[in-house]
Amino acid sequence: MTEVPKIVYDRLRAAGKAGALPDAALPASEHPDADLLTAFAEQTLSAAERDSMLEHMALCGDCREVIALALPAADIAAVPIAAETEADRTTPVLAKTERSWVTLAGWPKLGWPSLRWAALGAGVVVVASLLLMHPGKLNQAMLPSANRQVTPVQPVSGAQMASSAAPSSPITTSPMEQAAISAKTNKLQPNKQLARKSSSRAVEAGERLKSSQTPSVETFEVAATAVSPLITPEPSTEQTLMAQNEAPPVVKTKPPLQDTAGQGAEAKNTEADDQQRSLVSKLSGGGAMSVAKLAPTATQALAQHNVAWTITGGVLQRSLDGGQSWQEALHPNHPLLCYAPYGKDIWVGGQAGTLFHSADGGLTWAQVQASTKGQQLTSDVTHIQLQGSPLHGNNQLGNTSRPAQIVLSTSNNDVWSSIDGGTTWERK
Amino acid sequence: MTKPAQPGHAADTDTALFERSGAAAYGISAERFASILDEILRKHFSQTQSAVHNLTRPSPRASSEQKANFCAGLRLEELALARACAAGNEQAWHDFISRYRQKLHSMALHITRDAAHAAELADSLFADLYGVNVNAREDLRKSKLLSYTGRGSLEGWLRTVMAQEFINRYRKQKRTVSLEEQTEEGVQFAAAVPDPACASDPRLEVATDEALAELSSEDRFTLASYYLDGRTLAEIAAALGLHESSVSRRLDRLATALRKRILAGLRTQGMSHAQAAEALEADVRDLHLNLRSRLTQDSAPTTFPGSRKIPARDAADGSTD
Repeated sequence: MTEVPKIVYDRLRAAGKAGALPDAALPASEHPDADLLTAFAEQTLSAAERDSMLEHMALCGDCREVIALALPAADIAAVPIAAETEADRTTPVLAKTERSWVTLAGWPKLGWPSLRWAALGAGVVVVASLLLMHPGKLNQAMLPSANRQVTPVQPVSGAQMASSAAPSSPITTSPMEQAAISAKTNKLQPNKQLARKSSSRAVEAGERLKSSQTPSVETFEVAATAVSPLITPEPSTEQTLMAQNEAPPVVKTKPPLQDTAGQGAEAKNTEADDQQRSLVSKLSGGGAMSVAKLAPTATQALAQHNVAWTITGGVLQRSLDGGQSWQEALHPNHPLLCYAPYGKDIWVGGQAGTLFHSADGGLTWAQVQASTKGQQLTSDVTHIQLQGSPLHGNNQLGNTSRPAQIVLSTSNNDVWSSIDGGTTWERK
Repeated sequence: MTKPAQPGHAADTDTALFERSGAAAYGISAERFASILDEILRKHFSQTQSAVHNLTRPSPRASSEQKANFCAGLRLEELALARACAAGNEQAWHDFISRYRQKLHSMALHITRDAAHAAELADSLFADLYGVNVNAREDLRKSKLLSYTGRGSLEGWLRTVMAQEFINRYRKQKRTVSLEEQTEEGVQFAAAVPDPACASDPRLEVATDEALAELSSEDRFTLASYYLDGRTLAEIAAALGLHESSVSRRLDRLATALRKRILAGLRTQGMSHAQAAEALEADVRDLHLNLRSRLTQDSAPTTFPGSRKIPARDAADGSTD
């Protein structure tokens, strides 16, 4: 509440002294009688009478005091009267005004300080829920910083990449913990489908971590361990492809110092000048790391090129030298969110129903508009799963293999599937 | 709303009012009740006309309508009870005691916040209501309840009377403080109260008085209650029949408007904007302190008066160096 100038106090007091009667006992003939004072307090006076009463009482402190004393206790019951009046007279006016109309209204718990925290909490909940419902939007926010940070990754063998980083720190974050646990339980059944499921859970966990804004190095390492069991001890003939859904801008892989299995990769962020960015990148890299195993029939062809894919900032990147250098493979209008390679068959999904397909290992791309019964896919494609044993045969692009079924998961929890290479779709 | 006065209408109205009041149960006749109403009406309209000077004298017809309206708004039942008590009707006193005895004691406790003082105050009020100590010389018992006119509730009136009694007692006690008590409380050694009328810029006072005079009486009542009396928003709101938030908003608005208006008033008196703002921000309590005179007084050497005479002005200058 605005404070009045001090001269106002002074003049109000002076006016009261000038207008007040000498120090005489009440009731004096000039004071309104008890009847009028009662009627005033009970709001039963006529307008003219009330005005004249107010005129008198604006100057007469005695009558104001009588009115205040005679107020029924119930009218001011919200105030503990004894404490209130004593405290009010001894505390500065400003302090009183700040407290007054929140606490006196009988809603002490809903004062502005409480509401402020409530509003902040509500805002955090809204932002968190938006991030969870539209995970792909994060890519847009990261686009500028991510695009200029694609750096070479040291060459590592497929076996090294496939191996796990030794868990080096306690698991502290619950989403990651869940992902790690699920990954470890899937370790006994290292098939492709389970690997994809687990990695997708890791992606979700990473998203949640980002939204909760508690990045830490430990969580990244935990994420790495969460993925790692899926790609461990396989026959040496089987090559693995490390794929990162939302790759960190700067991720360098190198053999670990202590690798019990003899194969390992420890991801470590090497850029320390931009802590904020690197923390986010660690998170996104850790949480979004997904691994896809190639079909045995396609391994050999791809092993020669050592092809690796990643999506950085909504752009699909491809490395033909095992991650040493990366090239932009696909940069559509909408940010890309996920991809799934199947030999040379690559499917990439993104926001607003963006779906691209390449049948030649990323040399040429065709945009696919998934639609069924007049309905077009317009929501974000958050996950692509290529299922089934590869069908051998030739298509018009000369592919030798293609997935039996393409399953898309969307942000509004729809599942679209196609069993004819994307020509017709079915929505579940 | 009110029907025009017709022959016999006043009598009908009086009868209806009498029946409504239930005064017959307390042994008050219709004629007596009508005379009580007449007395109240006379008092009210004489007060109204003296208070509202510019009103023309109401015509007899309008007056009778006003009277009917006025009487309809009275607390007739409580009026009859009070007057019957004043007249010494036992049934009335029985009713009064059963209705208000407990309330009077809680009111007294509410006002005094002290059990002993509350009992004393309530007993004193009962004595007044019964009329024990009034007009002893003429051996007449005059109850204070005779002054109740039914404008407000009897309970509210009792509270008001009690509050007045409390203030009167406080005043009396203050006047009869013994010399020993004064000495003990240090009254004799207390610093003199500075004269508030001195030292502030007369232009500022004029501008402030003008700004205050432009406010409505309700606004001035609100300001005085809040800033002078230290009343809470809840108390002011209850007194004015408003919500606390309305009082809060009004005080905010008044503070802003007063500041603006005083600044404007200062500028019309020849001050620049900056001067006006500075004058307004100056604490009037600070203005009472005359620094130069105090310095002069303190630094005048009186220890060795005969050794060297130093003019007070030089001493003051030396002290400020």
